[in-house]
Amino acid sequence: MPRIADVSNVEKNFILEALTSSKLRLDGRQLDQYRSIDLTYGQQLGNATVTLGKTKVNVQISAEVTKPSEERKFDGIFTITTELSPIASPGFEIGRPTEQEVLLSRILEKAIRRSRAIDTESLCIVAGQKCWSVRADVHVLDFDGGLTDACCIATMAALHHFRRPEVSVEGERVTIHTMAERVPVPLSILHSPICVTFSFYADGELVLLDATAKEEQVREAEMVVTANDFEICQIAKHGGKPVDPAIVVKCFQVAISKAREMNKSMRARLTADLAKRDIRGQSAENERGEAPIG
Amino acid sequence: MPLDTTSTYSTTLLRLDGRRWNELRKISASISTQPTADGSSLVTTGNTSVVCTITGPREGRGQGDRTNAIVDTDINIAPFAQLDRRRVGRTDKRVQELQTTISQAFQAHLFTHLYPRSSILISLTVLSLDGGLLSTCLNAASIALIDAGVPMPSILASITTGTIIPTDNSLSRPEPVLDLNNAEEVELPFMNLATVRGQTGSEDQISVLLMETRVQMSEANNPLEIMLRIGLDGCAQVRSHLEEVIRRHGRRMTQGRR
Repeated sequence: MPRIADVSNVEKNFILEALTSSKLRLDGRQLDQYRSIDLTYGQQLGNATVTLGKTKVNVQISAEVTKPSEERKFDGIFTITTELSPIASPGFEIGRPTEQEVLLSRILEKAIRRSRAIDTESLCIVAGQKCWSVRADVHVLDFDGGLTDACCIATMAALHHFRRPEVSVEGERVTIHTMAERVPVPLSILHSPICVTFSFYADGELVLLDATAKEEQVREAEMVVTANDFEICQIAKHGGKPVDPAIVVKCFQVAISKAREMNKSMRARLTADLAKRDIRGQSAENERGEAPIG
Repeated sequence: MPLDTTSTYSTTLLRLDGRRWNELRKISASISTQPTADGSSLVTTGNTSVVCTITGPREGRGQGDRTNAIVDTDINIAPFAQLDRRRVGRTDKRVQELQTTISQAFQAHLFTHLYPRSSILISLTVLSLDGGLLSTCLNAASIALIDAGVPMPSILASITTGTIIPTDNSLSRPEPVLDLNNAEEVELPFMNLATVRGQTGSEDQISVLLMETRVQMSEANNPLEIMLRIGLDGCAQVRSHLEEVIRRHGRRMTQGRR
């Protein structure tokens, strides 16, 4: 089984000592400073690439018409699939999902799907018979820590960008219009969750944001807090060294402010990209209903 | 009989099963229940019951860590544990997440450095499930590890807390509740919390914190903070209860020897 090489004792001590004695990080960042986040949209609708320092994640959204599940007749289907392949890091392998991969997909699932960021009811076409199945494929292209944060931003950015074909229902007949025929519609997104990972050092006294792979290897505990502009959507501290409650509460506030900040820059990028597409003669209406047909 | 807590709580101040907000369900715990295991326990919280057996510390074959013992967890949810008979497979991501959580919590909590190149396996069997799955598993594992003789600084105790967020404005304050059952877990926002005792003079420290539901953050009486406060208190209650169980067992053992 391939494994990422452990950090050597010398390097580990160096990182920890720099942190605890003078609050310095390897790359000179502030403790609560993210690496530079870059978001680019691909040629297709619903394709987003996020780079967070050296970490790179690509997400593609796709949709197809299927039959809804028996228990949820009025809901469409939304799934997120993640795969950590050797392309990202020599420590990842194809096949059986590792513990890290299970946790990543569980957190994304809780952050985006369980918190109902996508209104699945709007994906229903004919109750019990036809619905949209929207799928987000998360591809990790480069791994240098901060995977959860990057994957969550990329998935939300791609979901905001995606358009599905317009559908019209006349009695029993369902027509799916091509993109050229009718203006495609955006997904109905209820809120925009952002994951913020906190790494704890020195018995929870030091809290780092956006740790690199090396910093992740030497941390004592981690906590992922997912927030949108005004709510906490999910908290996950899967064990690790115990942390003081006061520090945990402080993390919630930080998560909300970071989420606001990131959502703001994400929206700016999105409007810029959609405006660019409009010039090229493609449909890019921001809001549903305002679309001029024809 | 009301079907949900939210609509009736504001008038009765009683939950579905007749408890007050801060009342725990009856916890009955015993250790050394399986004579063949290195350590074992049976913990029942209300209608949730979990059997835990510990194997180890024993030689860890092919174990990479030369300085610590490695803690592994195996959860088995019996098909008859819930109302609808259902097999929960080992590949279920939710169960895998719980396993990882329990392993990582005890990996950092136990004195694993005393057992280099060893492995400690926590096997949990859920016999009946009515909310508080992770909490009951953590509590059971905690006292079973004591039975196995693995040293730890304090008992890791766990509880679930939720809040009742009023839908109408008649009751403007969110009301916390402690130790939710299955019906309440489905309905209310809740979190799983596990703490260990802090050093003298400092508060109990949070080891595990899992929340899956959305909760609004407000400046004044923030429901998250209230939930956390109440949870810390609940964990302390559970811890003192488990400590009493251990002491009782110890007394019985010393008396038997005489």
